[in-house]
Amino acid sequence: MVNDPEQINQQQDLVGSYFLELWRLKSKSAAVSFAKHFEDEELEEEGEDVPTELDTLNSSGGFSIVLRDKLSVQYPSVNLHGHDVGVVQANCPAPVKRLVYYFEMHVKNAGAKGHVAIGFTTEGFNMRRQPGAPLLLAALREILPCLALPGWEANSYGYHGDDGLLYRGQGKGEAFGPTYTTGDTVGGGINYASNKLFFTKNGQVVGTVDKDVKGRLYPTIAVHSQNEEVSVNFGKDPFLFDTKAYEATERARQHVLIESMSIPQEESYGIVRSYLQHYGYEETLNVFDVANQSSVPSIPVADHNGFNEHAMYALNHRKILRKLIKDGEIDAAFSNLHQWYPKTVEEDTSAISLMLHCQKFIELVRAERLEEAMDYGRTRFEKFYSFTQYEDLVKDCAALLAYEEPKKSSVGYLLGEWQRENVADAVNAMILSTNPEMKDHRSCLHSYLERLLRQLTACFLEKRLLNGNQGEAFHLRRVLLAKNP
Amino acid sequence: MSLFWSVIRQLAEIEAMATSKKVITREEWEKKLNDVKIQKEDMNKLVMNFLVTEGFVDAAEKFRMESGTEPDIDLATITDRMAVKKAVQSGNVEDAIEKVNDLNPEILDTNPQLFFHLQQQRLIELIRNGKVEEALEFAQEELAPRGEENQSFLEELERTVSLLAFEDVKNSPVGDLLDISQRLKTASEVNAAILTSQSHEKDPKLPGLLRMLLWAQNQLDEKAVYPRITDLSTATLQDPSV
Repeated sequence: MVNDPEQINQQQDLVGSYFLELWRLKSKSAAVSFAKHFEDEELEEEGEDVPTELDTLNSSGGFSIVLRDKLSVQYPSVNLHGHDVGVVQANCPAPVKRLVYYFEMHVKNAGAKGHVAIGFTTEGFNMRRQPGAPLLLAALREILPCLALPGWEANSYGYHGDDGLLYRGQGKGEAFGPTYTTGDTVGGGINYASNKLFFTKNGQVVGTVDKDVKGRLYPTIAVHSQNEEVSVNFGKDPFLFDTKAYEATERARQHVLIESMSIPQEESYGIVRSYLQHYGYEETLNVFDVANQSSVPSIPVADHNGFNEHAMYALNHRKILRKLIKDGEIDAAFSNLHQWYPKTVEEDTSAISLMLHCQKFIELVRAERLEEAMDYGRTRFEKFYSFTQYEDLVKDCAALLAYEEPKKSSVGYLLGEWQRENVADAVNAMILSTNPEMKDHRSCLHSYLERLLRQLTACFLEKRLLNGNQGEAFHLRRVLLAKNP
Repeated sequence: MSLFWSVIRQLAEIEAMATSKKVITREEWEKKLNDVKIQKEDMNKLVMNFLVTEGFVDAAEKFRMESGTEPDIDLATITDRMAVKKAVQSGNVEDAIEKVNDLNPEILDTNPQLFFHLQQQRLIELIRNGKVEEALEFAQEELAPRGEENQSFLEELERTVSLLAFEDVKNSPVGDLLDISQRLKTASEVNAAILTSQSHEKDPKLPGLLRMLLWAQNQLDEKAVYPRITDLSTATLQDPSV
């Protein structure tokens, strides 16, 4: 039970600073840094470098075999001194923050022996410093079988054209897929969800292999007999293999696994109900309950009340205050708060007071009562100026006056619905924090639904972290936009 | 922390070390949870999607007003859909079929299985109401021809007609057909078909996310010991246990 004044203050500070922080994420100062990240997080994978061409500096043979377009490789018709094998990596490793990575190689000419290969090799591989130590070594090992190779790691995978075998690290070639030759297109892919590599021939998957390497993998190709010529496609041209369909199949596979988890039907009803309670959406809640009671058969959810710690606490007051704030009636909200929960607005320089005063100012600007707004700002904002933690936010508000069309300005977000809702949410949480029954002091901040979604996101992030940061992240928004099968 | 809990914690750590799982304490995990940003707007959308898909038209309307969240479907269509659902739930199958055809005749035209199940439900209701002759006539004229086209329809038809062969139907092997759950099954099938015809998903997203949470926790269990949420209805973290 919270009745010690010290504790009450601490609790109010927690609530106030929490919602100020949410505001700050939307604010002008944050617009460039983390708010942008916040909004664009789903574009994360687009920020990752993707291979676009072959690396000419860091490959055996270098310019002598990579053609000018940097997408084709040709083994010379004369014997290349000291460059028996031409292993060429892409200019950067395959991106990892996605479900699938894929690239293709077209064999223009299988040359004298058809010793072409496609695969993946690891980082830290420097052909110039260690000539003769290509990672797609299987090829080299064929010519020099007993060669001991310094720095050779067990971390490469290559699918070979002449025998169709898969060469993994130091191992011998294993039976894998069909052979391929002039005119064929083969592809190499990484499936981050199943943690497997797969290879294709002419648009069809020919086999998969466990990816037992944690580090970054470079798309790599190799040639090593006279006149061999191949070109790679890193996605600039359409692939022969249908990557979209492959991804869809992979997602469907995951979907089946997820769908097999069983949850009681009424679970969702309870979570929706506690959400409506938490935020004080009282009218929705009432109608929802009535509908549930009259449905056939009635859903048992309305029976076990009190599963939400706050349940009906101050529900009607919270609803009234939310509506007032949503309607821009800040004076009325203030006076109700003074009357019902004087402690919440007792401290004149608290975060909640700041948010309400700012909102009042914003509403005056919205109503184009600019002189009043100016007066209000002058008298009310002054006391907040000495608090550096409020400075940026107060400045944002004051800046509204500088624009003829404030809505289109850099502080235009203040006039959006989000701002009102955040103030309403802050007031709502503040009232919940006065609940003497409250046990967990953070429970006034997050609904059950939010807690579950946080847990879900954290689990995905942690799993990815433990997997060397590889694979897709979880984005609620993406799930919301997705049309499930 | 009581001795009991510290022993439990130690045991959990020992177990985790034995399987080389990463141990994440409650404190560390809560920090990670607090770093996660969930947008209010997205949660509102999730709730709206639930209300709309499950057909709570009045609640969706109120929620639009109270939260300012726009529904992703025309609310008027929910009313029609719910009327169909309700008709099936209360046994007025003929009425339901008519309403579906008013809504969009293509729904039944393109979905023979659904149409069969509705007719089957109509037969069940006739039998329930003791209209034996009418039931037999209906079965022979309307259902039997469809059974000829499809083996599984025929089997279901035979099962349904055999309701007439039992004196104590409730305790017979086909008693489940008279159960309320059979009506609900048919009702939700119609509901899904209407939603699909409106190019809306047939299931709300929320239960899917809850399943995803259980799955994600199972996945993470393989690699780490951390506070889980086992009881979704209280969303409470449980300390890592042995």
